[in-house]
Amino acid sequence: MRLSPLFTAATALVASTSGYATDYLSVEQAQQVFFAGATLVAVPLQLSPAQAKVVAQKSGVKLRSSSVRVWAVTGGGWFFVDEVLGKHEFITYAVGLDAAGAVRGVEILSYREAYGGQITTPKWRAQFAGKTSVSPLRLDEDIANITGATLSCRHVMEGVKRLLAIYEIALAVPSAAPVLR
Amino acid sequence: MKSLSQSPRPRPSCAELRRARPLLGTLVEITAGGVPAARLARAVARAFAAIEVVQARLSFHDPASDLARLNQAGPSEWVTVHPLSATVLRHARTLARTSTGRFDAAVAPRLQSWGLLPRPRPAVPRSVVARGSAGLEFAAGGRVRLPGPMILDLGGVAKGYAVDRAVAVLRRAGVTRGLVNAGGDLRVFGDWTAPVQVRHPGQPGAFFALGGLRDGALATSALTYSARKWRGRTVGALVDPRTGQACGHGVSISVWARSAWLADGLTKVVASAWAEGRGAGSAADTCGVVVAGEPAGTGFSLTGLLSRYQARAVVVAADGRAEWLGAETESLFNHDHVA
Repeated sequence: MRLSPLFTAATALVASTSGYATDYLSVEQAQQVFFAGATLVAVPLQLSPAQAKVVAQKSGVKLRSSSVRVWAVTGGGWFFVDEVLGKHEFITYAVGLDAAGAVRGVEILSYREAYGGQITTPKWRAQFAGKTSVSPLRLDEDIANITGATLSCRHVMEGVKRLLAIYEIALAVPSAAPVLR
Repeated sequence: MKSLSQSPRPRPSCAELRRARPLLGTLVEITAGGVPAARLARAVARAFAAIEVVQARLSFHDPASDLARLNQAGPSEWVTVHPLSATVLRHARTLARTSTGRFDAAVAPRLQSWGLLPRPRPAVPRSVVARGSAGLEFAAGGRVRLPGPMILDLGGVAKGYAVDRAVAVLRRAGVTRGLVNAGGDLRVFGDWTAPVQVRHPGQPGAFFALGGLRDGALATSALTYSARKWRGRTVGALVDPRTGQACGHGVSISVWARSAWLADGLTKVVASAWAEGRGAGSAADTCGVVVAGEPAGTGFSLTGLLSRYQARAVVVAADGRAEWLGAETESLFNHDHVA
């Protein structure tokens, strides 16, 4: 183990304020992670107000948009891209479902966070309108490795619940076996 | 800000892969390099899978986990657990002993009453005290027994241990350098010096640069996100097991150690000792951060414990004043013997 601290003994560190932002995967790369070699076809899916209501009830999570980004996988399976917005963080993630609707995995596509008075929350949120993971937004420079104050993945887990409810309401074949585990 | 943007980012010339998944209640990020891309992808997938195994075995929330079964069984019953769970429970016992109770996995009831862990049904009986994991009993065949009525939460070491497992899997797969960061419990290995920033304990959008980490682990505990009001007091995920009070107010505590479970667990020891020193009014140091290196009359030495583990700690206050504790010299760890 080696540590090269900037200072030793009693010292004063200088704080910097910065947006922490990282891109991990593009949509296409994430598709290959879950369904290597398969062909994926985008499925236009717009939930009706009634469906949206049921999804919110089933998942306990409010729907941010009635349009869903989902792809059907040849040979069975589904691929979703979704975004969750916390107080300070904006996370784009992908979920792969197998043909029976079970979660194959969750991958983070991009992560952004911002704090501070200069970035008021509504304005900060507004920056993301219409943004997707393929049109990444740079918030200041990114920071390499952060320690301290654990980030929560609660919003992502809620988002996955919501996608599973959407799958059940709008995509699952009615005769299929129960898919929510 | 500029100093950070100018600090050299490690950009290994070989393929590098950086992935993140929601695990362990946080975002776990794995960066790996040094082998061809296809092998890297498989290695990283296996490392995430190893973390999922630790999560499933030691989850406080999942009633089927080894930890939940142990808590449900109560004090008189031996419970057979996975070797991995036994290892983490032994780590928890070791640290509870060497820190003479400044780390204790039995603080769960405190966290439950503060709303930081789910409450059990039925409610925790009054006989349950929030300490005592130093007395955990082990027997052949992977059997474990609680020494008395208690509820364990391994949150203090399990996340770090999951990071260690992921690093072991990456290494076995031939990855020559990498970093695993589970929401701030991180470990670096191989030919790579990773610049590390710690969050400001009061303003999570600001960062302090701590330096470069090479072949070792760093964990940080702070109340930045977990602090909340409970009956007029500020409480949070850092508990001094000997007093049952929240500790670590207003500072962030980081520990470097050879493995992530140890760094993770030692942050709790430093937090308790720090609270102890402040309570006793002992030794405010030169920069005003009060650190209890040697709380008088207790026979416990924090710096002694840190050097025993060849670890270092830094306590950072909200104004950036930092106190470094532990071994001054560069430690020459043999990283092959890491748990």
